[in-house]
Amino acid sequence: MDSRAEIRKCLQQLLLQKGDRQPFSDSDSLLLSGRLASVDAIEIVVFLEEKFGVDFAEVGFDQALIDSVEAIDSLARAVRK
Amino acid sequence: MSASLGATAGIAPLTWPQRLANFRIIPRIETYPAVVTFAQTLVGKLALLALFSVGLRLATEDWLPLSVSLLAITFFPLRRRLLVTAATLVFTFVLPWSKYAHPVYTSALVVFIISIGAVLFWLSIELPKSVIGRHPVFVLLAGYSFLIVFAAYFPNTTPVYLTVWDFTATFGVYLWFIAYSLLDASAPNRDSFALQLGTYRPFWGLTVVPVPKGANYWRRIEAKNADQLAVAQLKGLKLLAWSLLISVFLKYFTALVHGHLAIPPLALALSRSVHHDAYPWYVCWASLFAEFFEEILSISVWGHRFIACCRMAGFHALRNTYRPLSSRTIAEFWNRYYFYFKELMVDVFFYPVFLNFFKTRKKLRLALATFAAAGFGNAFYHFMHDPKYIAELGLWRAIASYHVYLFYCAVLATAITISQMRRRHPAPAGFLRARVVPAFCVITFYCVLRIFDYTDRAYPIQEHFRFLAHLFNLSF
Repeated sequence: MDSRAEIRKCLQQLLLQKGDRQPFSDSDSLLLSGRLASVDAIEIVVFLEEKFGVDFAEVGFDQALIDSVEAIDSLARAVRK
Repeated sequence: MSASLGATAGIAPLTWPQRLANFRIIPRIETYPAVVTFAQTLVGKLALLALFSVGLRLATEDWLPLSVSLLAITFFPLRRRLLVTAATLVFTFVLPWSKYAHPVYTSALVVFIISIGAVLFWLSIELPKSVIGRHPVFVLLAGYSFLIVFAAYFPNTTPVYLTVWDFTATFGVYLWFIAYSLLDASAPNRDSFALQLGTYRPFWGLTVVPVPKGANYWRRIEAKNADQLAVAQLKGLKLLAWSLLISVFLKYFTALVHGHLAIPPLALALSRSVHHDAYPWYVCWASLFAEFFEEILSISVWGHRFIACCRMAGFHALRNTYRPLSSRTIAEFWNRYYFYFKELMVDVFFYPVFLNFFKTRKKLRLALATFAAAGFGNAFYHFMHDPKYIAELGLWRAIASYHVYLFYCAVLATAITISQMRRRHPAPAGFLRARVVPAFCVITFYCVLRIFDYTDRAYPIQEHFRFLAHLFNLSF
């Protein structure tokens, strides 16, 4: 499974836990739009730390960095480089 | 004919809970293309502003300056942020001028505090490797704590004693706005201080909690084109209508509960319990639930109004209170009840702890960060929010008499931690199991916890426990 698909799966699960079955595109805002809350942001942070080795203490945390599939994917790619 | 019948047959009929969920008292006008298009025309904008002004007229005495500010911002969207700053300065200095007992003195204090905010903002940008550059909010909060200690031990016989406390209290009002500015200082696309100034108690609502957050958030939610502005404004108009509807409901609810049904306010029920003349236990339960619902309605009224104005100014801000009674968990309720207070606690206390400590121990990390936000941050915010108690009682007595609220924060933080740690499952099937039972449990928890949600230091904690015991028809 490629990284974008993994990210999408993680976000889909979080939305499902909230009973949100609406579709979303890779560029759709999920945190700033209110579909996911800060509790979910924590799950995304842990997912990124475990799967991609992102260290937010170094990168600097901003909700916009994990707001959409695209944003998360580009963050993961930037950290890999 | 048969094709259309076939298509109709293919669509599953809506169940009653689905129909109920889809029902809107105020229709979703922002999804009607014709309305959105109309709202972008000159006539449409004027009509929208006129309707909004009528709504504001019913809600607040500042409706006229608010409407004029929104008019200017609507017609000059490219200068939106600067106009918000200008309107905020007018609402801070010009409009209340005649209401201040000493307008020059009060304004000078505010200018001085804003200048401190500007200096801290500049320092954190210019010295990124220094302590203030790396931990600007920590420096700010530590500095304010020292100011409180300094004021508490400042001799009250000196002529500047009152000035020291006025300065401390006014600083407290701006503290969290400056904190958000400092959080934005490290952003590569940060706003200039002139734009940050617009976020310091913005003109739509003079709160102590930044609603909605700071400049970083504003940049992301700002309408980027005429279409987005129209949608934001239509949602703003709807939210103002909601605020008005809820305020009318609150009025009749209060009259029914405290007038017709003669259920006492919680403060009176608690006071009677303290004086060993308690109402019957079931009346106390009724008082507790009534107070809980009144608070939700009340926070919705002002929160919706502030966010409505914010949306009218072209920002797609989330609501401050969003369906709290539908919360299925304790953590979810805290998120939905007073969203921007929770966001403040999360941004200033939760994330710094969560992202920096105990990264390999998931549960400990979550618990510590939650206690930092819902426990320590919550207690710190409310302690600093009322410096008059420190001035009246002295620092140590003010801390000691704060034990009721400290207990409240400890229980809340523990409950939110447990709520977050419990494995989350998709909602179970069935309206009763999925919605009613979890919501009832959450509401009951917050109702009972409300007994300890007191910062006024009126009674010791045993009196609050006595009231709690009385709810279960126990006495001690």
